[in-house]
Amino acid sequence: MNSMNDERFFDLAMKVIARQATAAESAELQAALVKEPARKAELAQWQAQAGLVREVLPLVNATEAPAGELPAYARGRLQTKVRETLGRPPAQARKLHWAWRWSLVLAPATAAVVLLGVFLARPAQPVFQVAMLDITGQTRGSETNEVVLLAQHWTAAAVQNFGRSSDLEAWEKAWPAGKAPSVKVAYDRAAGEVRVMGRWRGRDFQKTFLVEHDLASTLKEADVFIQQQTK
Amino acid sequence: MALPDLRQLEQGDADAWDEAFRWLWPVAFEAARLKLSPFLPADVEDVAIESLEELVEKVREVGLTEELRPLLASIAHHRAVSRLREHFAAKRGGGQTTSLEAMTHEDGAAFDPPDEGAPLAELDQKELASVLRELQHEMKAEQRAIMNDFFLQGLSYEEIANKRQVAIGSVGVYLKRGLGAMQRLGARHPKLLKELEAFLR
Repeated sequence: MNSMNDERFFDLAMKVIARQATAAESAELQAALVKEPARKAELAQWQAQAGLVREVLPLVNATEAPAGELPAYARGRLQTKVRETLGRPPAQARKLHWAWRWSLVLAPATAAVVLLGVFLARPAQPVFQVAMLDITGQTRGSETNEVVLLAQHWTAAAVQNFGRSSDLEAWEKAWPAGKAPSVKVAYDRAAGEVRVMGRWRGRDFQKTFLVEHDLASTLKEADVFIQQQTK
Repeated sequence: MALPDLRQLEQGDADAWDEAFRWLWPVAFEAARLKLSPFLPADVEDVAIESLEELVEKVREVGLTEELRPLLASIAHHRAVSRLREHFAAKRGGGQTTSLEAMTHEDGAAFDPPDEGAPLAELDQKELASVLRELQHEMKAEQRAIMNDFFLQGLSYEEIANKRQVAIGSVGVYLKRGLGAMQRLGARHPKLLKELEAFLR
């Protein structure tokens, strides 16, 4: 009686491993193994490799999943992790470094100007700048409660909308020329936080407020903080 | 979608990370879902986010942007397996005796018991990431598609031949070459083969 050819043996083995074999096919494979016991090792090897396929292939498929939106709430948490772990990009760090060197050179002169400014003109109110970051798409101003809320708190300021984190970062760093008293309020929608930064009488201040319950109450907290800082 | 710039990511550029998170999220989610969906479906998103956080910590250890996805899949897989182990250990510790075999899918089919001792979990993250990258390169697209059809979707030779428009005799050839790729992979990663053999025993 002839031995089974390799191709037939492989196909039967695959069907048995995948539990697709008919009773007749299973019996045919068993008969082949009885006749050629050396092939048992071959079958065992394929079983192990098939097990590996079932374990690894789904993960390989996962690595090729098409891009998609991550939940909005996750973005803030992940960006915080990026800031904590990797810090700011070096370009920004270099700018700060240069700013620090210049501040050493200019500090005495600046101090004199500030002191003079304090005595000559005490500003009654800081200039307010308000912005909102909405990376899911620019929010339509008048139809959005959040923009309305921001506008209601700081009526003299137009609320600026940004769609990119870098634009908001640039806005946060761009202060009016000189040391004019000013306050910036930035609402990062995805991160769920309101950041307040200010300059008042030669002193800088800043604080971040998490939107724990609702934006309105968080803005009130921010407002109280600003009033305390600018007394 | 253009690949994120690894250098910008290493420098903590917020915009580059926004793009990267969109590109990476489905990988983390899918890798976590594979392990958790039968038992802890509510934990899938959480594990995916934790995996992305861990990837942020490891981004400076990566040489190429293309390595990020396999590494993330590996991280998510390990985290999902750990979550399952904790879950079932807590159940055992808490004296709860829910029969896993009694749990069923919506269609009434029984779940397989959780593979807490899955062989891939025994590889470290980097080695598993390397296994995934090697398979991506070694297995051609059509070969991988047919392996998926047969081993994961349970299609027969005939169904695959019709679906992929190949001769029925070619299906076996594709499978044999695919298994050959697995054999070479196992030879390069003996720990993987050893764990797999123990797992199948």
